[in-house]
Amino acid sequence: MSSRESGNQQLLKIQRIDDLLQRNLWDVDHRPHIVVDTSRCTDCEYKPCVLLCPAGCYTLVDSKLLFSYEGCLECGTCRTVCPREAITWNYPVSGRGVLYRFS
Amino acid sequence: MATKFDAIVVGAGPAGATAAYKLAEAGIKTLLVERGRGRGSKQVFGGRIYVTPVREVFPDVEKTAPIHRWVKREKISILHNSRILSLEYESPEKHSFTTYLTEFTSWIVDKAINAGAVYVDEVRVDSIVEEDGRITGIEAGGERIEASIVIDAEGVNRLLLEKLGLAERLSPEEVALGAKEVIKVGADKINERFGLEEDSGLAWLLVGEPTDYLPGGAFIYTNRDSVSIGVVVYLATAVKKAREEIYRLVEKLRLHPQLRQYWEDGDIIEYSAHLTIESGRRFMPRKLATSGLIVVGDAAGLLLNTGYTFRGVDYAVYSGYLAAEAAKKAFNLGDFSEETLRENYEKKLLGSFIAKDLRNHTGVEQIMHEVEFFEKYPVVAIDTARKLFELGYETPRIQEALRSSLKTHHINLLSFLYKMFKMVRKL
Repeated sequence: MSSRESGNQQLLKIQRIDDLLQRNLWDVDHRPHIVVDTSRCTDCEYKPCVLLCPAGCYTLVDSKLLFSYEGCLECGTCRTVCPREAITWNYPVSGRGVLYRFS
Repeated sequence: MATKFDAIVVGAGPAGATAAYKLAEAGIKTLLVERGRGRGSKQVFGGRIYVTPVREVFPDVEKTAPIHRWVKREKISILHNSRILSLEYESPEKHSFTTYLTEFTSWIVDKAINAGAVYVDEVRVDSIVEEDGRITGIEAGGERIEASIVIDAEGVNRLLLEKLGLAERLSPEEVALGAKEVIKVGADKINERFGLEEDSGLAWLLVGEPTDYLPGGAFIYTNRDSVSIGVVVYLATAVKKAREEIYRLVEKLRLHPQLRQYWEDGDIIEYSAHLTIESGRRFMPRKLATSGLIVVGDAAGLLLNTGYTFRGVDYAVYSGYLAAEAAKKAFNLGDFSEETLRENYEKKLLGSFIAKDLRNHTGVEQIMHEVEFFEKYPVVAIDTARKLFELGYETPRIQEALRSSLKTHHINLLSFLYKMFKMVRKL
């Protein structure tokens, strides 16, 4: 396969967010830098975090909110839009997390 | 254990690194603390930097900065229903350039280190220490470091200023979310496909379909051998009206049948996201300095978004420079009081082109929140152009084309004209 073809396929493929996040350089901490008190999410009508997190860290499974910090891009959107103040938000320590090179 | 510096700068972005460089250059013992690994690893911007204010601080910017391309072509387009209506502007002059912020910041951090600043990366500052009503240093990982002055360059998420009670918690009304992909295409292909010369670049802004008709915009910048493509949506409206994830919108832009030709054999090399300040004036803290503390860059609300122009990095550099000048004066006087720092920093900043820009463009914020401008008017514009250009038997007059497009979308002509008049006045 020529490099042109492989490039083409990568671009044409409808990316899952995980595929997209894998393009980045990471050094993910084993300790989460963000903690979500999901008990506060049960009666949250909109759950704006699910649609607005640019890394897809918030997902709904059987209408229950699941959070994973691993793909976090450290932007602060979830903290800003959460109507329940359910998110204890901070940056990762020790230079962990996403490592941008071309942004 | 207390280590002591003259000055501590929190955050090695363009504002913080510039402040550290100017302080170290003046012989002030300066510590520059950065939470990321290496240089610039946590930084994201849209894609371009206006050079004039940067040149005042760094006269060698054109010779030594990692400039990718000089933006010589500006393009603004409305996209809807497989149609594109554009305004294009071309100039031979060099006023802004594309780069990676990561590289640009590294360039400034290197200068700071060479000037004698101590650079420490991988350290997240947990708090700025206040004792007896004045700032005395920082705390990170349980360790305290003291200084006569602290410069806060922590960026848009002001965790430290919030702790000090100098900034409110962010609200969706104040910020927009930007997400971007960088696609490596190759310099020759970029030149050929966009019709660009070797070192010249394009800044392209798009509205309508690319944001799913939400307030905000999409952008395309040409870098040396890659393109940055992205979408910005205002959180206040996105919270209520978003129907899709922002990475889906970026992907649609990447796969757009009329745009993909530019990069379709390329490789996505990075995906990033960042909050951007929507209203600098409102975001600005009540005061930009207190006893022993100066606030610079994004943390100070220094970002301009007019809908067609985004400026932040040059403001950041310039505010870092003004902060260092004020700090130098404070060291000469041996006076780090709030009055002295506000007099020498805040007053200078509020009298500078930056604050003037932010004051001057406040009206634009109202427009940014009017959904019609993003939802209905792009569609009307495309419809009108379609009626004018895609002729069958009849040839409508401009007025007829506009009137019938407005009618189709249930918009009253008078209210439309009034809003347009208002917009022209605000812009």
